[in-house]
Amino acid sequence: MSAPILELNSVAHAFGGLNVLRDVSFAVPRGGIAGLIGPNGSGKTTLFNIASGYLVPNAGEIRLEGRAITRDSVPARSRAGLIRTFQTPKIFGHMTVAENVAMGLYMKTRSGFAATMFRGPAERREYRRIEAEAEAMMDRFGLLPLSKTRAGELPAGQQRLVEIARARMAGPKLLLLDEPSSGLSHDEVQRLRRWIEELAAEGITILLVSHDMGLMNVCQRVHALYFGKIIAIGTMADIQADPAVRDAYLGG
Amino acid sequence: MSRLSLWIVLSVLAICALPFVLERHSTELMIFAAFYAIAGLGVGLLLGQCGIVNLAQAFFYGIGAYASAYGTVVLGWTPALGMLVGVGVAGLIALAIGWPILKLTGFFLALATLGIGIIGTILFFEWDWLTGGTLGIGGLPPLSIAGFAFDTPDRFYFLAWGVALGLLWLAHNLTNGRPGLAMRAVRDAAPAVEGLGVDIHGLRIKVFVICAMLGALAGSLFAHYVSYVSVESFTVQRSIVFLLIPVIAGPRVVWGVVPGALFVTLVPEWLTGFGDIHQMLFGLVLVVVVTLLPEGLTGLPARLGRRVTR
Repeated sequence: MSAPILELNSVAHAFGGLNVLRDVSFAVPRGGIAGLIGPNGSGKTTLFNIASGYLVPNAGEIRLEGRAITRDSVPARSRAGLIRTFQTPKIFGHMTVAENVAMGLYMKTRSGFAATMFRGPAERREYRRIEAEAEAMMDRFGLLPLSKTRAGELPAGQQRLVEIARARMAGPKLLLLDEPSSGLSHDEVQRLRRWIEELAAEGITILLVSHDMGLMNVCQRVHALYFGKIIAIGTMADIQADPAVRDAYLGG
Repeated sequence: MSRLSLWIVLSVLAICALPFVLERHSTELMIFAAFYAIAGLGVGLLLGQCGIVNLAQAFFYGIGAYASAYGTVVLGWTPALGMLVGVGVAGLIALAIGWPILKLTGFFLALATLGIGIIGTILFFEWDWLTGGTLGIGGLPPLSIAGFAFDTPDRFYFLAWGVALGLLWLAHNLTNGRPGLAMRAVRDAAPAVEGLGVDIHGLRIKVFVICAMLGALAGSLFAHYVSYVSVESFTVQRSIVFLLIPVIAGPRVVWGVVPGALFVTLVPEWLTGFGDIHQMLFGLVLVVVVTLLPEGLTGLPARLGRRVTR
């Protein structure tokens, strides 16, 4: 049995005097789709920021494939295969959709300053490969007709797709999706759902945060977070039947 | 051939033809414009591609100029060696300064570069054993490369613009390749760029070092051309002019530094015809340009095009 792809051990964090996370521990096994739910302010985004390295927790430990990464920088974690999207899509607004998606390939490519300035043949070849791979990825996510559009001019739903396509280009082992369905139409959510399942089928482990209970049904295992503590773990059906979760959501 | 490359070819041809039609004074102005374009290109890369305001470029310009002056006049180096040392020293200093300050962002970083620019001017003034202080260093030999001396304005004109256009080509390639993609992405959403495995700090340091080396190269060419350097040429005011070049032109367009450099060289010159108020008039022109052309001079063709087709 290999180590879980992501492990959080006794993670705690406070902003000022406010304990946002209190002794959170859980593990995401390799493969499949895991979920994280919780009402607003329960600490989901803080947890995501800690897992992806944007925030160093006050206490506790994060492990990626069994290796402690608690103090690793964001780029170091990305290079180790942990890629995330953001609650508000962080796309490159002045760049085209094609360029946004191409950026996903940055760490899989190597042309440096000198090679690029002097346009060595290896650099040209590599850049053509970047463009070709970005095109294939855009085609897959239905973004090809928009490839020359500035990403900042797209509606929120399509910006999310651009972000997910870009994340996929980065070749993640573990993909953290923060509220990927917000701002999407019903049809778009259905398509997103299929893409998430497709990504999982390719062997990418997915950790999904969402308010959308319909979307959360794709998860094999869901963790319910409430006031900085995990109060239930199970399938979506288990979670919805759990008395502690019902209390938390219905204000009991 | 795309419209852009047509414009590039026409501009290069125009630049080549100019010294044959211009009188000497105008040729000299155009030579200064080339120095401005080179130093402004560095500032423009930082501003337009990385979103960094650099108010220390006159410091690096000064390093290049003093290295050439001290090296050739006092130490008897060849001009090429002086230039090389100036560019190298500027790069190393930029690396040492950039490492700590490029962890800052926005206004704080701009203020830090302003501080460096001010310190630089004071050092040029106080270290008179090296810089000659207010007296400066005179008697620089004309620049010569492999026995060919650039000792007439026409020769120097082709050298300065040849260098400027060559560097523009390199910068154009850089911004259209993989590093340029990452630089522009940092401007739009730095956290997401980190999340794609990019070492942003390292990237910014590289561009800062390139900017400083371009500044030093321009300073060295300037020193050889005027054959005399003194501290007034390297004040913060000069840094502001360097910053104006990409700002006026529209900083995201790399080749915009050419119209930008022509603007800061030629417009003040034309305005001197109005007498003592010419500096105020230049200020006024700047305000008018940035108000009417928010995308800068390089946005003008597109703007006119929209007006015509409407």
